[in-house]
Amino acid sequence: MVNRMKKNPFRMIFFSELIKGLLITLRWFFKGKITEIYPDTKPVLPYRSKGRLHVDIETCISCKLCENACPEYCIKVIPPPKEIFKTDKRPAEFYISLEHCIHCGLCVDPCPTGSIHHSMEFELADYSDKNFIYDKETLPYNLIVKQYGKGGK
Amino acid sequence: MTPFFVDWILIPVAKVLIVFGIVAAAVAVLTWIERRFLGFFQSRLGPNRVGPIGILQPLADGVKLLLKEDLIPFKASKFLFVAAPVFSIVPAFAGAAIIAFSTPWETEKKTIPLVVADVNIGILFLLAISSLGVYGIILGGLSSGSKFPLFGSLRSASQMLSYEVPLTLSILSVILLAGSFKLSEIVTAQQNMHVYFIFPCIIGFVVYLISAIAETNRLPFDLPEAESELTAGFHTEYSGMRFAFFFLAEYANIILVSMIASALFLGGYDIPFLNDSLIGESHPNLLAILGLFSYAIKCAIFIYFYIWIRTTFPRYRYDHLLKIGWIILLPLSLLNLFIIAGIKLLAS
Repeated sequence: MVNRMKKNPFRMIFFSELIKGLLITLRWFFKGKITEIYPDTKPVLPYRSKGRLHVDIETCISCKLCENACPEYCIKVIPPPKEIFKTDKRPAEFYISLEHCIHCGLCVDPCPTGSIHHSMEFELADYSDKNFIYDKETLPYNLIVKQYGKGGK
Repeated sequence: MTPFFVDWILIPVAKVLIVFGIVAAAVAVLTWIERRFLGFFQSRLGPNRVGPIGILQPLADGVKLLLKEDLIPFKASKFLFVAAPVFSIVPAFAGAAIIAFSTPWETEKKTIPLVVADVNIGILFLLAISSLGVYGIILGGLSSGSKFPLFGSLRSASQMLSYEVPLTLSILSVILLAGSFKLSEIVTAQQNMHVYFIFPCIIGFVVYLISAIAETNRLPFDLPEAESELTAGFHTEYSGMRFAFFFLAEYANIILVSMIASALFLGGYDIPFLNDSLIGESHPNLLAILGLFSYAIKCAIFIYFYIWIRTTFPRYRYDHLLKIGWIILLPLSLLNLFIIAGIKLLAS
């Protein structure tokens, strides 16, 4: 401080540096705030966000490529009985355990029909672990995709 | 309802309750305002979840602090440990007794001055009682039986001692100009001279602002509670309501200091370019009501300034702090006093 006083007494006497600092903070006071008030305003997610996995059961052909690709073994595809499979390849059951899913997207790449993919849904917290295992009935595909949009493209 | 009862019991008690209520409410709101404004300065929003725009945050904080466990450390000396927060908060609130809030309120029978005690040694009383506030901090530190509070209170003792001097000298220049210790008469003197004392005492004003920050233990002079070195300084061992007392005392001190500053240097409840003749006889107490608002706005400017200062400047090193106090502020305040004495001499 004393050194600066010797160099430039004007600065010291009129607090010019202090006032400069004050003006900087004052400018920030009136600027827009970067805080997002989360539950009130939902964030705009990036285009390629990898949210919850979703399966379009109608186009799935029970090929099990996603099940084999999964590093966490969280997908379980049960194809229909053989007689039905000849005509209708839709799976009898399709389980995704979100407890284990790491949202890596490896199941999305091999899918020949593009029926498994990420959605933009990211609010996955729940009160019971049973709710983390999704099956055919609890995957309300169209509704959720309509609401959150496709992700991970 | 004898006149004695009304004059000496009813009106004073009502005044005390109202002033205490106003200061307490202002303190509660200020704790929220400060956090919210600090947020704005840092491009955040601050507390905004409790109630509309977060205005009920002080209430939630109060409930939380009330319900917290009341700890007294094993090594603490119990009586002083319990007494210290009281020593801290009582002077902070008692100082508001001498503040003249507005011009006297006129009823049909009598005029009531809007001040609890318009004593003729008002400023001296204030300086004395604000020095008492230091005891709260020192006792709190000494009685905690812990090293961080001890160092905090030691720092606070020397800091307050060194900054009391320039503070008093800068106030003295105003008293020299006004010729009175009464706050109401200081304001009247500014009205009569048609100049706010900030203009002749500009050096004293700056000295007052800086030493007031040191007196209230706020950033950049919050050495007694420097988080990086002393955890929380003198109130490290305090929790719950006892901590809240220290906290409230700090904010009450900010309000007190702002009220004093606006009364001494910005004309208090005076409204620029407005007097009785302009208002006329429309309402007997219109000037008093407008004066209250004027005073509140001036205080708010100072309070905003203190929050602004807090968010802008980093904490000073301890030897720098004392150096500023003794080497820069003390000569400046003396210089200011000489200038004001010269003005006074030339004017008379």
